[in-house]
Amino acid sequence: MLTRELAIAEYDAGRIVPDRLTRTAHAHYAGHAERMLLVYRHGVGRTRRQLHLAVKSVFADEDDCPSRRIDAFCKLLDDASKYGRDTGGKAAALRRDVFHRAAALHPLVRKVDRLFEHAEAEVKAQIASELGRPWQQINDELFADVFEFQRLEEFRGYPDGPALLARYNVAQVQAALFGAVSMTVDATDDFKTILRYAKLARMMHTIIRTGPGRYRMRFDGPASVLRRTRRYGAAMARFLPALIACRGWRMHAVVRTRRRGFNVRLNLSPEDGLNSHLPPPEDFDSTVEEKFAAKWGTERRDGWLLDREGEILHSRQKVFVPDFVFRHEDGRTVLMEIVGFWTPEYLEAKRQTLRTFREHRILLAVAERLGEQATELPGETITYKTALRIADVLERLEIFG
Amino acid sequence: MTGRRVSFTAGTLLLEGTTQRDDVRSAGGDWVWDARVGAWRCDAVHYRAAVERLREVAGGCEDRVPAWRSVRWPGVDIHTLRDEQQAAVTAWSPTRQGCIVMPTGTGKTEVALQIMAQTRVSTLVVAPVRDLMYQWHRRILAGLGYDAGVIGDNVFRVRPVSVTTYDSACIHMAKLGDQFGLIIFDECHHLPGPVRQDAARMCAAPMRLGLTATPERSDGRHVELDALIGPVVYEMPISAARGRTLADYDVVRIPVQLSAEEQARYDGLSREVRGYVMRRREEDPKYGWEDLCAETGHAPEARRAMKAYYAKKAIEDRAEEKLRVLEDLFRLHALEPCIVFVGSNAMARDVSRRFLVPCLLSHCGKKERLEVLQGLETGTYPALVANRVLDEGVDLPEVKVAVVVGGTASSRQAKQRLGRVLRRSGNARAVLYEVVSAGTTEEQRSRHRRKSDAYQGTRHRRI
Repeated sequence: MLTRELAIAEYDAGRIVPDRLTRTAHAHYAGHAERMLLVYRHGVGRTRRQLHLAVKSVFADEDDCPSRRIDAFCKLLDDASKYGRDTGGKAAALRRDVFHRAAALHPLVRKVDRLFEHAEAEVKAQIASELGRPWQQINDELFADVFEFQRLEEFRGYPDGPALLARYNVAQVQAALFGAVSMTVDATDDFKTILRYAKLARMMHTIIRTGPGRYRMRFDGPASVLRRTRRYGAAMARFLPALIACRGWRMHAVVRTRRRGFNVRLNLSPEDGLNSHLPPPEDFDSTVEEKFAAKWGTERRDGWLLDREGEILHSRQKVFVPDFVFRHEDGRTVLMEIVGFWTPEYLEAKRQTLRTFREHRILLAVAERLGEQATELPGETITYKTALRIADVLERLEIFG
Repeated sequence: MTGRRVSFTAGTLLLEGTTQRDDVRSAGGDWVWDARVGAWRCDAVHYRAAVERLREVAGGCEDRVPAWRSVRWPGVDIHTLRDEQQAAVTAWSPTRQGCIVMPTGTGKTEVALQIMAQTRVSTLVVAPVRDLMYQWHRRILAGLGYDAGVIGDNVFRVRPVSVTTYDSACIHMAKLGDQFGLIIFDECHHLPGPVRQDAARMCAAPMRLGLTATPERSDGRHVELDALIGPVVYEMPISAARGRTLADYDVVRIPVQLSAEEQARYDGLSREVRGYVMRRREEDPKYGWEDLCAETGHAPEARRAMKAYYAKKAIEDRAEEKLRVLEDLFRLHALEPCIVFVGSNAMARDVSRRFLVPCLLSHCGKKERLEVLQGLETGTYPALVANRVLDEGVDLPEVKVAVVVGGTASSRQAKQRLGRVLRRSGNARAVLYEVVSAGTTEEQRSRHRRKSDAYQGTRHRRI
């Protein structure tokens, strides 16, 4: 991720528009990106400062490039790099040695006179010969542990130029989100992934159902109810790549500008065409689910349609997205959750969840090999051996009347 | 009322066992109904006041907040406080919430240690930078015999008594805000910043102490300290300190000329920046620095003007002549330890490489910093170079000679830099040299600096 100082954005009619490199307006950046990657791929052994200067020189003749954009590229390239850290304190030991040797000769003067007889050049030559190395080498290593003088050891990098540019575009949206006070996601798909990553980013949610299979989720943090705070902006930024990897969402965030404290909106949806470095969410958690959905198909069976992850159950900060929703043409809905082979801790958590949401119509499909343990799960259950049979499910659905 | 309970969560207090209809705000406090969890919530900083009010007005509630405990100090070894130090402790004690204003070098740390010794409770000390954080660690070990935990500088060792930095405190207070009964903010003028305030706001400690030499901030936010820590309970003016506790001092200003080549480049760059801004002002009379920054992305001209500005600053900062003046000063004070303050890390390394004297920069490890500081104190090293790292509060050996090369003009920085130099040491007068580039903006900064209260009544002479 970038740091706050590297954010570039424009403001337009109450909106914040993070810096964005596009294939049309920035076609020539494809070449810049490849050259930057070459600098790092061939840069092992060079210092951070040298690499950054080399990246700057890539843009020497580029009119359309704020220096912060170059610094941002350097940060993204550094993020994928490993630098030598001098953990043994070699440079510090060298400094101590050199400064000790010079201390008795202080001050080192340009021209000796009767009072001060230690000339800078002579003292340095003398110390060099005592240490048995040329002074130039000592001078180079004296501050080798300073951040900008660290040397590149390994570049894990980005697969190609477009990947670096894609990461840059996402990183600028993330940097804009550092100032976010709240984030709202309207979603029709991938609820599980969105909510899981929101939880991983330690955000709190407020969920509103806006229609069948449509939800509005508002994300912020504990203190957000007390004041508009940017404290959780970094969490929202961390969450963003996971959201971008999903389908069927629109996001808008309220961003408070740093200098003047205005609120501006940040809007984003898949139509913006940002590419996440994370893979898209798996369609199904298990092959049982996948096979069942494939067998059922898209048509109505006895009046029931099948919808994957179609509803969110929520109570305060607890959420539950059942695997499937059955929607009958007469308006009835039944939720189904498939419980395969899992750990005792998982089963316990599932029990808790089902108890929280027991007033909902939930059908549990339980793997037969769970045996005894499964009987402790509350609610309607249906067991299966290796695959879930449609006829069994339809029969059970009617129980919910 | 039964079933009500207050607990600490994520830097806030949650009042559970209530409904939205139980309007607890009538009991005072800053409670807000949080529908996301179905409970009333407020900032942890209100803990003492909120729980007291609930107890009085609303019939009480179960208090699950305090995770702090009492502490036994293994070995208290604090000098008897001077009168004004004792007065500070006495002023704070009745309410146990408030700020103490004392000039640098008058023993704020001893006052805080005395308060810690009396309160005997889990304590967190928040310091501006990690050097100061480690210094507090040493002082607590020496004064109270306690090996405090460290939170910051890539260390996360939480103990009932711990030291940390503002940045780390801001990040971790949401988790640690219930662990300490007393929180001490050293150099507490650092606290008010929109997010940094969380270091105080998310902490439930009922006892709060702020320490500073200069409570005022140029942005006026210091008034917020009242709510975050407490009002100023004791103030000692800097003039009361000078001449008694602190040594008398001279300020000697040495203007240096840029070399002919530097001056030519400097003037060229100035013309470039001024020319660009003037042109832009013809269109927009209010055109300023912030507009220039905003424009650099799409206007290569603005970018060049910005580059010219930074090149100008770099010439000022690293003027060759400064190293020559330093040589003269080192000759003049060859037998006295000397501290050189500089305006940038690059300049610090320039000085260090030129004279082979140690420099204290942010990359220096704890061990190296200690070695350098002790080296200067014991006379192993004749001088040291420091950037902003040492600006505030770091205990330095008693030096009588300091050189400020460049630097910014804020009065707070000036006072604290002075404080570093002007330790009492016999009858010797301390000298502060200011080396500034003549005919540049640095000269203006120096003039501005001398206006600050700390310089009143000192002599200025030119070499």
